[in-house]
Amino acid sequence: MELFSETWQYLLDADNWTGAEGLVARLLEQLLLTATALAAAMLLGLPLALWLGHLGKGGFLAVNISNVGRAVPTFALLAILVAADWPGSADFGPYGRAGLATLIALVLFALPPLITNGYVGMREVPSDVQEAADGMGMSPVQRFRRVELPLALPVVASGVRLALVQVWATATIAALVAGPGLGRIITEGFARNDYAQGMAGAVVVAVVALVLELAAAAAQRAVDPMPSGPSSDRDDALSVPSTTVTEAPTGS
Amino acid sequence: MHVRRPLMAVTALALTALMAGCAGDDLASENDEPTSGSGGGGGDGTSVVIGSQSFDEAALVTAMYQQVLEAEGYEVETRLVDTRPIYLNEMPDSVQIAPEYVAGIVDQLNTDANGPDAKPLSTSDAQETIDAGASLLEEKGITLLEPSEAYSANGYFTSQEFSDSEGVTKLSDLEGQKVTLAAAPDCKGRTDCEKGLVDTYGIDITLEPLGYASTETFQAVLDGEAQLGQTSTLDGTLEDQGLLLLEDDKGIQPAQNLIPAVSTDFLADNPDLEDVFNELSAALTTEDLAAMNLQVDAERQKPEDVAQQFLEDKGLL
Repeated sequence: MELFSETWQYLLDADNWTGAEGLVARLLEQLLLTATALAAAMLLGLPLALWLGHLGKGGFLAVNISNVGRAVPTFALLAILVAADWPGSADFGPYGRAGLATLIALVLFALPPLITNGYVGMREVPSDVQEAADGMGMSPVQRFRRVELPLALPVVASGVRLALVQVWATATIAALVAGPGLGRIITEGFARNDYAQGMAGAVVVAVVALVLELAAAAAQRAVDPMPSGPSSDRDDALSVPSTTVTEAPTGS
Repeated sequence: MHVRRPLMAVTALALTALMAGCAGDDLASENDEPTSGSGGGGGDGTSVVIGSQSFDEAALVTAMYQQVLEAEGYEVETRLVDTRPIYLNEMPDSVQIAPEYVAGIVDQLNTDANGPDAKPLSTSDAQETIDAGASLLEEKGITLLEPSEAYSANGYFTSQEFSDSEGVTKLSDLEGQKVTLAAAPDCKGRTDCEKGLVDTYGIDITLEPLGYASTETFQAVLDGEAQLGQTSTLDGTLEDQGLLLLEDDKGIQPAQNLIPAVSTDFLADNPDLEDVFNELSAALTTEDLAAMNLQVDAERQKPEDVAQQFLEDKGLL
């Protein structure tokens, strides 16, 4: 219990938030790292996954690439990248020490959920809808852009959301190669027997993960073309108005 | 070779970091109750856990402890971790013995008990330092046996190139400069490390937690990523790597004599330990330690083999 009150004290102390090695600076480093890694992974992974899903081919390839990706331990990958001549542990702009190596490791870590959800989202567009689109004379590109993509978007977005939270929480491993991010606060706390500091770092990581999760969930809802739930607009619009049969026919 | 050595080192770093991460659970859950032995004279299968740091010199002394204890019939388990606080937290309950450094353990107990800003108790005299820490040691339940003459403190090195171009041969030459220091993660706030370099020498230090005398630390200084690196004052590998130990001309290094730290209760149950360790401490000199460090660091011999050779030469096995 003492540890929790010490952790709380650590979080209340403004000195711990400011400065080049304070919580705010480390938090921003990690957000930058997460955003960059996620953006790069989306640019790399989503076009491939969506295209394969559209073609309905290469599912074996897409699913297996992402499964292999899941099996590779991110930290081992980071260690190999840092030890190699390139990218090594050199400073990389605002990403700090071993920045490029950390980014590469995180991008590869983010790919599996993006590719899996991208591919599955496209494949799950109902075939009668696709046939209807073809029957209306849509070209494959039109079908992709106007029918499949909007319908697949919620599943794709949930992959992005999953990747975002995973990458954010995993970005702390950068500290193990003296890289940027909140992991530095945690590892330093444990190395110096200042468990309150280690806990405080972990608490900040967890709280921000929750915030990111909630924000991503809101964004996911916003892109859903057919939101489910209490709103019944869709049902009203699509169903036959029942008012037409309110009066029972009587013989006259 | 060019890639493999750093790779191995990074893997080792990873493992120790992982151990550091879960040390709290692992150390606490096992061996909470060391089976008590037959009392005086010989171990008779009494199990004992030695906790220590993982850098080469500590691994070497740990190997010596392990071998003399096993010769006495103890069942020894060793746990090498990244920094001192990790195993010190588990003493005296689940770790019973640690090969220590006089000022290192006394100052750590002091900051653990009195906060990170506590004035250090250590001085340049070993006995004075032990006396100053007596009440803290008693409270913790740790007994320090006889200190050895052998002494090994933190040393700071630069590359020969940096030394030549900047005219730096002692730490005070760096006064007022902005310097990146590659060192152990617990360096921050220590008077024999970051705090001493900042307060006593007036150096503007940026700390990179790359490890004590680790491959990453050497590499960072050689690459120019860091100007200053941390190692032992007995490091014999520096010259061959084109590195140069700077003189600690303002004396921030306290009495870092090697000393066995033993759980007070465990020592009471096994009083024969005192003679075993006193013999070893008496036999060990700074020169021996430096020579053995070189065998491990430069010739890549195993710490266990070097320790065994030494103990046999001294008739301790």
